[in-house]
Amino acid sequence: MILTGIVILPLIAGLLSLAVKSQPWLERLNLLTFGAVAVLAATLAGEVQVTGVVSGLNGFLYADALSALVAGLIAFVALVTGIYAIGYFREDERIQKVTVRQTRWYYRLTPFFVFAMLLVVLTNSLGVMWVAIEGTTLASVLLIAFYNEKTSIEAAWKYIIIGSLGISMALFGTIMTYYSAVGVLGTDASASGLNWSVLAAVGDKLNPRAMRLAFLFVLLGYGTKAGLVPMHTWKPDAYSEAPAPATALLGAGVINCAIYAIMRFSALGTACLGHGFVGNVLVAFGLGSVLLAAPFVLVQRNYRRLLAYSSIEHAGIMVAALGFGGQLGALGAVLHMTFHAVTKPLVFFCAGNVQQHFGTPYLRKITGVIHVLPWTGGLFLMVTLAITGVPPFSIFQSEFTILSAGLAANRGWATALFVVGVVTIFSGFLVHMSKLNLGTPRSEAPIKGESPWKLGAMVIVAVVIICLGFWLPAPLFQLIEAATKIVGGNP
Amino acid sequence: MNTITDTPDWAPRVITLLAAGMLVVQFLMVAQRMLITNVRLFAIQSLLLAGIAAVTAWSHDNPGVYFMAGLTLAGKVFALPWFVARLVRKIRIEKEMQPWINPPTAMLLCGGFTLLSYLVARPFATAETAGANTFGVSIALMLIGFFLMINRQQAVTQVLALLCAENGLFLAAISLTAHGMPLVVELGIFFDLFVAVMVLGILVYRIRATFASIDVERLNQLKG
Repeated sequence: MILTGIVILPLIAGLLSLAVKSQPWLERLNLLTFGAVAVLAATLAGEVQVTGVVSGLNGFLYADALSALVAGLIAFVALVTGIYAIGYFREDERIQKVTVRQTRWYYRLTPFFVFAMLLVVLTNSLGVMWVAIEGTTLASVLLIAFYNEKTSIEAAWKYIIIGSLGISMALFGTIMTYYSAVGVLGTDASASGLNWSVLAAVGDKLNPRAMRLAFLFVLLGYGTKAGLVPMHTWKPDAYSEAPAPATALLGAGVINCAIYAIMRFSALGTACLGHGFVGNVLVAFGLGSVLLAAPFVLVQRNYRRLLAYSSIEHAGIMVAALGFGGQLGALGAVLHMTFHAVTKPLVFFCAGNVQQHFGTPYLRKITGVIHVLPWTGGLFLMVTLAITGVPPFSIFQSEFTILSAGLAANRGWATALFVVGVVTIFSGFLVHMSKLNLGTPRSEAPIKGESPWKLGAMVIVAVVIICLGFWLPAPLFQLIEAATKIVGGNP
Repeated sequence: MNTITDTPDWAPRVITLLAAGMLVVQFLMVAQRMLITNVRLFAIQSLLLAGIAAVTAWSHDNPGVYFMAGLTLAGKVFALPWFVARLVRKIRIEKEMQPWINPPTAMLLCGGFTLLSYLVARPFATAETAGANTFGVSIALMLIGFFLMINRQQAVTQVLALLCAENGLFLAAISLTAHGMPLVVELGIFFDLFVAVMVLGILVYRIRATFASIDVERLNQLKG
């Protein structure tokens, strides 16, 4: 019942909002929906801990600890982004960057976007999961083209073309998985042959030749959505052109959907092929992404694109953790996914504020944000430390776990390269962000009051980030542990 | 008097023939630069695909696949080509610019892709399904579709290339399992495809309005 509600609610809200014209009502509808989804997601997480697995709609929907965790993260991101968006778009309208008609489409598309993301993690069928991931692309492409400028249309075109190309490969992988499932289960199982609950049980009996091809194609496909190198090229464009709230949904929501899909298939691939092949491929893609992101972070001139490379890096870290494998690697991947999803929205919010106030995405044109926008500047510095993995913030913990996993898996060289990449990105970020936030502001711009909606959302996220640095609540940790067992396979 | 349906293995033969037809159409597309002709070629290819689905449904007596054949006929032979053709007329561009790689070389490359596809497909030959030939064709369609997307510089052709790659994927699902993917998944894929073409249509209009051209080559401002 809860499971059905959490998926249906945003869909209904989306359809309803097509009929609504008044902006205050659209704002309320959005906020109410995402608030309700967050409450339901928390309840679902509680229920999953008691019963292990929850299913709904005749087994069409399915939630275990991993799905419940990711659904919770998506709900959190959707809620804080919903709050922030109200302040952000009111400001955009005030400075006449967009019209009320344009903003309406943001509020109408986001419920569908969130619906697709929740369906990705809460469906039982790997086929429907594919449909939903393609759905996230389709719901978000017009959000990227939102400002309707030459550059934003270019970014949207690249996003949908590269995204569709990648996702077709994932479909091919899904078809191959289905083929090997039918080989084991016989044609009687044709309707349920893609269901995770069925596949996970017969993982070791699947046709290895077909599964090897399937895993490679799925990784290429969902890796495109996660932004792994070399399929990452859409990401800097999309992240720099979309309005800040849409970027937050992409960079903290969709990335988790893609990583979630990769986690499912890596568990399946490991069960069928053993960890050797799967681990090598994952480490190669993960490490490649971290290492390629590093030089681009160092020489970056545009802070919105900088954040995209940070996102590529974090996708790489999660995939590398999966590749290191074992319970420790799985724990690292799940922890990192959780902490990244909680931390990342604040980065996008701060960047959005800076761009909205100064009207430029170029680093060299802005200094001394902290003097002009004290809250934004301060939080920006804090979250820079948090996202690059400085203790005591929680990302340090997950990165440290991943390092231990790498050493435990006897991948010394890979671990060393991983450290080089992460440290380079840390220093690059620190240099760029201290230049941006500290120093004297260009003009004698007065200190400006910041919108309570934007500030509220930012403070909520900041409080959560700080709390998680020192204290991981017991129920959350149990959920993460249970999810780790699913990702790592029960030993 | 023997009719074709009396021959025991007529179904795989007809399917192989139709699949070969799909591949030929795909090659014609590689060489063709007139947009409207490309749209028609896509419609023909989809018609052949619908035929394969119908024959598969007949020989395995599977109503679900009949349904998918009907949907392919309605959607990919009529609705989508009609929509794309309307788009082509509205933006008033008939012929596209020179692709990156010239047609003869492109044909040669696509021949290489086909060879590669058959090599990949060979281990998956089973007696009960349509066989390795059709599966090989489906991989070739997918690869050539991807190649067309990269090689062509024109928004509408990129959309058509995506649709052709999707035809290949549908063929792969049918040829490997004889009954296609679960119906809900097939429906979802079809729905996604329709929405994707609508969204791409909106973007093509916007590109046309802001750039006064639909050459994707002009989309080159974002770097680094």
